[in-house]
Amino acid sequence: MNALLAFRSLFARQAKGLLIALLLSLVTLTAGVALLGTSGWFITATALTTAGLAFNLFVPSSLVRGFSFIRILARYGERLSGHDATLRLLTDIRGWLFKRLFPRLPLNDRSLRHGDLVSRLTADVDALDTAFLVAIGPIAAAAVIGIALTTILTWMLPAAALVYGVSFGMAVLLVPAGLVLASRRVGTDIVTRAAAARAAVLDGIEGHADLTLFGALGRTQTGFQSLAERLARARGRLATLAAFAAFGVQALAALALTGSLWLGLRAYANGQIDGPVLVGLLLAILGSFEASSVIVRSVAKLTTAMAAAERLNAIANAPISVADPINPVDLPARLPIAITDLNFAYDGGAPVLRKLNLAIAPGEHIAIIGESGIGKSSLLNLLLRLVEPQSGQITLGGVALSALAQADIHASMALLSQDSPLFNDTIRANLLIAQPAASDEALWDALDAAGIGEFVRALPRGLDTLVGESGRTVSAGQGRRLCLARVLLSRAPIVLLDEPTTGLDRPAELAFFDTMRSAAVGRTVILVTHAAFPQGTVDRVLSMRDGRLHAIDTPIALEN
Amino acid sequence: MSNSSARRAAPTPPPPVHSAKDTERENARTLSGLRRLGGPWLWLAMGAPLLGGILLVAQAWTLAAIVGEVIQQGADINALTPAIALVLILLLARAALAAIGDRAGTAASEAIKSSVRQMLFAQLLARSPRAARQPPSGAASSAIIDQVEALDGFFARYMPAMVQAGFLPLAFGAFILPLDWLAGLLFLVTAPLIPVFMALVGWGAQHASDRQARALSLLNGRFADRLRGLTTLKLFGQAEAEIAGIVAASDELRHRTLRVLRIAFLSSAVLEFFAALGVAGIALYVGLTFIDFLHLRSTPLTLELGLFLLLMAPEVYNPLRLLAAHYHDRAAAKAAIGEIETQLGHMPTDLVSLAPAAPSGNAGALGLTLSNFTLRTPDHARVILNNASLNIAAGDTVAIVGQSGIGKSSLLETIVRLRTHEGQIILGEQALADWPEADLRQGVAMLGQKPRIFAGSIADNIALACPDASAAEIRSAAERAQVTGFADSLPEGLDTVLGEGGLGLSGGQAQRIALARIFLRDPGMILLDEPTAHLDAALEQVVLDTLLAFARGRTLIIATHSLAVAARMGHAYRIAGESLLATPVRASSSRSVA
Repeated sequence: MNALLAFRSLFARQAKGLLIALLLSLVTLTAGVALLGTSGWFITATALTTAGLAFNLFVPSSLVRGFSFIRILARYGERLSGHDATLRLLTDIRGWLFKRLFPRLPLNDRSLRHGDLVSRLTADVDALDTAFLVAIGPIAAAAVIGIALTTILTWMLPAAALVYGVSFGMAVLLVPAGLVLASRRVGTDIVTRAAAARAAVLDGIEGHADLTLFGALGRTQTGFQSLAERLARARGRLATLAAFAAFGVQALAALALTGSLWLGLRAYANGQIDGPVLVGLLLAILGSFEASSVIVRSVAKLTTAMAAAERLNAIANAPISVADPINPVDLPARLPIAITDLNFAYDGGAPVLRKLNLAIAPGEHIAIIGESGIGKSSLLNLLLRLVEPQSGQITLGGVALSALAQADIHASMALLSQDSPLFNDTIRANLLIAQPAASDEALWDALDAAGIGEFVRALPRGLDTLVGESGRTVSAGQGRRLCLARVLLSRAPIVLLDEPTTGLDRPAELAFFDTMRSAAVGRTVILVTHAAFPQGTVDRVLSMRDGRLHAIDTPIALEN
Repeated sequence: MSNSSARRAAPTPPPPVHSAKDTERENARTLSGLRRLGGPWLWLAMGAPLLGGILLVAQAWTLAAIVGEVIQQGADINALTPAIALVLILLLARAALAAIGDRAGTAASEAIKSSVRQMLFAQLLARSPRAARQPPSGAASSAIIDQVEALDGFFARYMPAMVQAGFLPLAFGAFILPLDWLAGLLFLVTAPLIPVFMALVGWGAQHASDRQARALSLLNGRFADRLRGLTTLKLFGQAEAEIAGIVAASDELRHRTLRVLRIAFLSSAVLEFFAALGVAGIALYVGLTFIDFLHLRSTPLTLELGLFLLLMAPEVYNPLRLLAAHYHDRAAAKAAIGEIETQLGHMPTDLVSLAPAAPSGNAGALGLTLSNFTLRTPDHARVILNNASLNIAAGDTVAIVGQSGIGKSSLLETIVRLRTHEGQIILGEQALADWPEADLRQGVAMLGQKPRIFAGSIADNIALACPDASAAEIRSAAERAQVTGFADSLPEGLDTVLGEGGLGLSGGQAQRIALARIFLRDPGMILLDEPTAHLDAALEQVVLDTLLAFARGRTLIIATHSLAVAARMGHAYRIAGESLLATPVRASSSRSVA
């Protein structure tokens, strides 16, 4: 429940719409109860009357018609306004969640799988809509109706007021509360099992080729079968609890009705109540349980919503590993990079960098070589301040990274990482991420510089060609060059290239090194690679060993 | 197993193109076809409420009799206590029946959803992973998880409601007709009219539902795609733009959903109207008859009968209101079927088993002959190889070189039957198409260019190749692929848990873990696609040494850019001009071209 409360400020933004829906649902229920009550009173009164045609027909009959129409209109308005407010709420939640998510990237939690994250941002957000629409609203409305009718009974049929009040209260408050308590765990199970099943599907598709090649499809199928069945079992358990709760509510309604009937008839026999009034009240009691019957089905969904809210909070409240300074320093115009005595290790891991030092002048092109996994990529992440060093300092333009706004740091550096993604969109849209206002001319320049302009020109739809998910319609090498073009398109004065030529053949690799010089003139370039590059590609070559950088005087040494 | 190989080779059938009306009917038929998966639970879910309806008549009758007798005839209350107890028992019995019906409905719908999910997943994996029409993973998972979930309401709620709506109002009307012909007639005439009105209103709902299902699918697909590269978006300063994009997409979904709901709610308002009219009409009719304003009956109306009519009036319309409340469950389910079939092809009717038969034993080193061999890209837009031929002797080591994007990976994937081709491939002694699936997978091992690292430990990932492998075997494979070099410095060594997709690993490390899988197999042919792409020169040579040692007595084919790799192979072929040309490799012994 606390997890749901964390969303209250977002709920408050839609308070008006939700309140209107609540009021209209009250009107609907009241009109229904009044319609039955008035009708019961009316026919009993006419049956008992001796006035014949002199009986005042006008008031009751117009009341009956009036309540009918109020009920129809209020019901329509209630459902529409309630759903509109809820859907607006979901949009707010999605926007809010992404706003919280971005500063927390890259996520530290390795157990948070891609499929799980997708589940959280789609299904879990959707599950929250039930919180108001089908749970809180109906309970509130039913409680108001119950209190009102109990008050009327206290006044007109005091003997039945207690039986009715207690039964109705239990049906509306106690049974739902019991259901929530009993179904907490199964609600969590449903949400996590659905997420596990989704992740299994994603793993199956993205690893489809590997699973096929190793003949592992049968095992994958068995694994998915057990996940699907576990999900179905959890939902079945929730349905069992809900069925018991529904029976409980109906049983309480039965007690309230038969109890009031018995006590009411006694009061009638003793002359304490009018016949028509008694019948009217009995029918009103019958009608009031309409309010309670929907509650169980809604509350059954509430626990799922609570579990979903907890999972969303887990992302939204994950610790921010790298925080912006309160008063960031403006980014200087010239951006030399200086790294002093940098020590770094991943959480609990062996040290990656040990007292590393490096100074790069603006416009200088350097290459860092070394075995794979030695810490080259970590150094780039540290420069971007995606991770924090244990000790030591990095300055950009003479200002410590920790004193700069992260947005400024990111704007000053463009990264081509080893796993740079292409999005399921056009080539144009994929490039524009680096510079949304870029002209087509600039796009072609970047594509040419990355050595893929010719390929794109040959495509029937050119820049408007869809790349497909994970760049599936282009080869790995072409995808890599599109990512490179994106980096070159950005206006960042510092370019970080992490193994930029992976997936390129040797001539393309050489052509790339050749164009890099000219394409990045005036920009600082940090090239991380294990590929051999011709002499003169960069100004300086450094080798990373034992967590430190060592100058290599003659790049020719590489060629052995 | 030969039927499975035929299945794999067959191209994915595109979903048939029909008019909207046909599709609509087709979806409804598919949906009712799934009913059989629900088994006896579905019958119980539909039967329990009908029994409850019969008990309802008895309950209303008893209740009306009690009140009528006391108030109109002044009967003794104590004599009526058994009748009051009967009302209580009937109420409790109805409550129990309703609960049983609900539970059975969920049981049926869960059984159906679980079967459908498994059938869809199996169908998806039974197709070639390189088929042109394979859906994006986000959209496919959304179809299998979310869209299948949208079938829930149809089986759990709509179908029982439909049976009730078709039977109960007419049964109630027929029961009331001999008691009071006017009320009976009113019920019998208005009740069947209501579904007609609803159908008119619901007509437009289906179209709107389809568009909403499409929007939901797009939104989920967008999430899955964007989440993959959130850090990239952040580094390019696109966080704000992305948030705005997501809010806009979400708002679009709201508009479409509301369009569906407006119509759905209108159809239930029509019903509410009739239900209210029914109650009000009966109340007025009974009242007017009591005060002798109306004289339509031959016998005088008792309070007891009048009350019974009034109690039954809302109940006659209640099954229809229930149906209306669940009407959009049907529209949603039909739309979900449409969306599932758009993403994943026809709804399967059977569960395909993917478990391979036991392989028939090791065949030793395998030779390869391609003749009249033509290979195209999956969309048939480009020819990769035209009428090419190739002959690789068993036990040979071969490099395939060529510009990036020329089709080296496609060629390797065709040899392991992931892609379709024209012409002939003979692998070992028999045509590729005739190889039983299990034998092919045992005989040929392949490492792709972007191998998938699954969530789990490093050891788990290596053991993908051989689930029965002992810890020692896994360790040895890891050593040969140079995995232990970095894994041993991790606190938990090979048991270190990796993120999905190899999160936390460098490209070279992920590749080496995937390479280790090969060493757990005993293949007659090994295909490697850029196995050393992420490795530095020294490590590349070490890995090559181990590979060549392992490849003794097997056939090895490596697609590569690296001349250093090609130089150590027995033969090399270059893909150029849509042909495979033998090319000298020993001329240069250096990686460098300087």
